[in-house]
Amino acid sequence: MVFRLKKILLYVVIAIIFLIAIFPIYWTAIGSFKFVRDIVTPVPKFIFTPTLTNYIDVLKIADIRGSLLNSIIVVTGASLLGFILGVPAAYVFARFSFKHKDDLQFWVLSLRMMPPVAVVIPFISIWLGLGLFDTYISLIVTYLLISLPIVIWLSIDSFKNVPVECEEAAMVEGCSYFRVFYRVALPIAGPTLIGGLLFSFILVWNEFFLAFVLTSQKMTMPVAAASFAMVGMEIPWGLICASICLLSIPPLILASVFSKFLQSYFLPKISE
Amino acid sequence: MTRRQVFFLFLLPAVLVLLMVSIFPLIEAVNLSLHNRVLRYPTARFIGLQNFSKLAGDRRFWNSLKISFIWEGVTVSGSLLLGIALALALYKKMGDKLKAVLTLALILPVVLPRVSAAYVWRLMYSPVLGVFNYFLGWVGIGPVEFLSNRHLALFSVAIIDIWQWGLLLAVLILNLLESLPEEPTEAALIDGVGPWQLHRYITLPMVVPQIVSLTFVKMVESLRSFDLIYVLTKGGPGISTETLDLYAYQAGIGISGRISYASCISLLMLIATVAFMTAIWKVYKKWSFA
Repeated sequence: MVFRLKKILLYVVIAIIFLIAIFPIYWTAIGSFKFVRDIVTPVPKFIFTPTLTNYIDVLKIADIRGSLLNSIIVVTGASLLGFILGVPAAYVFARFSFKHKDDLQFWVLSLRMMPPVAVVIPFISIWLGLGLFDTYISLIVTYLLISLPIVIWLSIDSFKNVPVECEEAAMVEGCSYFRVFYRVALPIAGPTLIGGLLFSFILVWNEFFLAFVLTSQKMTMPVAAASFAMVGMEIPWGLICASICLLSIPPLILASVFSKFLQSYFLPKISE
Repeated sequence: MTRRQVFFLFLLPAVLVLLMVSIFPLIEAVNLSLHNRVLRYPTARFIGLQNFSKLAGDRRFWNSLKISFIWEGVTVSGSLLLGIALALALYKKMGDKLKAVLTLALILPVVLPRVSAAYVWRLMYSPVLGVFNYFLGWVGIGPVEFLSNRHLALFSVAIIDIWQWGLLLAVLILNLLESLPEEPTEAALIDGVGPWQLHRYITLPMVVPQIVSLTFVKMVESLRSFDLIYVLTKGGPGISTETLDLYAYQAGIGISGRISYASCISLLMLIATVAFMTAIWKVYKKWSFA
């Protein structure tokens, strides 16, 4: 009896923890399908007539459509470029040993941690000076500061998990170092490398501050969504919920990818 | 291609790009801080350390420093305590399937863009239509102005940060505890040790290095609070939630465009970050994680 009570209590606790994590997101998600009269009620409504008006209205706003496109271009550009530059570098970190390797490795990681305000203020002046302010190029290059360290960092582990024997066997067969990389190491590490790419995609997609300061025409999705709060006194909750959902769907879909990299991202192992 | 060539061809492009996007801004930040550049005008004059001495007498700067300290203290300790408490409560209590589902649920808040997290909670905090005030109404309290009461606003925002990071830390710490070697805990359980003593004397001490390094990671992350605070309160009411990065933004871009002055503030934040990062590095070197 005591045992059963304990079991029930445990499930109640787990359910509460689950609700704390999920309810806020759920509430906004169902809000996006409500007419405004069902959102703006003193008593929260769980049962209502669903509608798609908010999504239709939000996609009618030119700024939102434009920002969606900008986000896709900029985020794809920054993560792909980070991937192309970062993966070979990660291979070197995983397979070569050289002086100050661990220091260099940590420097790469620490760049990701720079406070954005310390990055963004000089970048205003730099991009203005080069005549590149508010362009895709400038934003993509700025975002390399996020995507490149992440890709390098997460790819090192992927390459380390490739059995050295495979590479040595290829070497014995007479493959050059370069061939060993792209015919052996790359295909075997492939799936997890793509995971790292998606991880950097999430982080850049979610980024707000840099885009907020460095763009006006080329604003990204988080900036456009945040600007809603500033359109007059009446807060358009229906539109906000819909735009927030549009913004949040890609990262939420990729959440399981994120969960695979948690440990190696937050508690990385420094080799040797 | 020789091994040497592969080495340089693979490593150099990435390192050079990273150097470019980190060194140039750093030089420009120092350069700006020594001038009196204002965004509206193209020219600026060298004024040495005048910006820094002005900063020392700026009451709004000292206020933002104080707010930043409170923010760091509340969010770091809050999310760490929540993470440890949840991890201990769930330690070895769930089957694999349930654990996988709960883990995914617990990381959703931190995967959410911060702008979204801000609005999600703003909807619930609202004095007119928010769920919180509805439930508080049941016990005869309210309506509470979570975001426009200047004593409450900072903590209302901090709760969102703790919601995002505390739940993530719970997952990380739970995984750490459950992947510890079985022998010590089993031996202790056979000796009849209770759950509290088990964690106090056996499991938690084994993960101290990882928890210390997670603490520093969270300290660095908490310095990056601009998006959450800006979307919810813009530093208000008044300047009661204005952290260093918000003040730097307001001074350098938002209100007056004194970008040189803002650069000084951002340099101070950079120094703090570097200090925390150095600490993390020391922790790593001392206990290289197996």
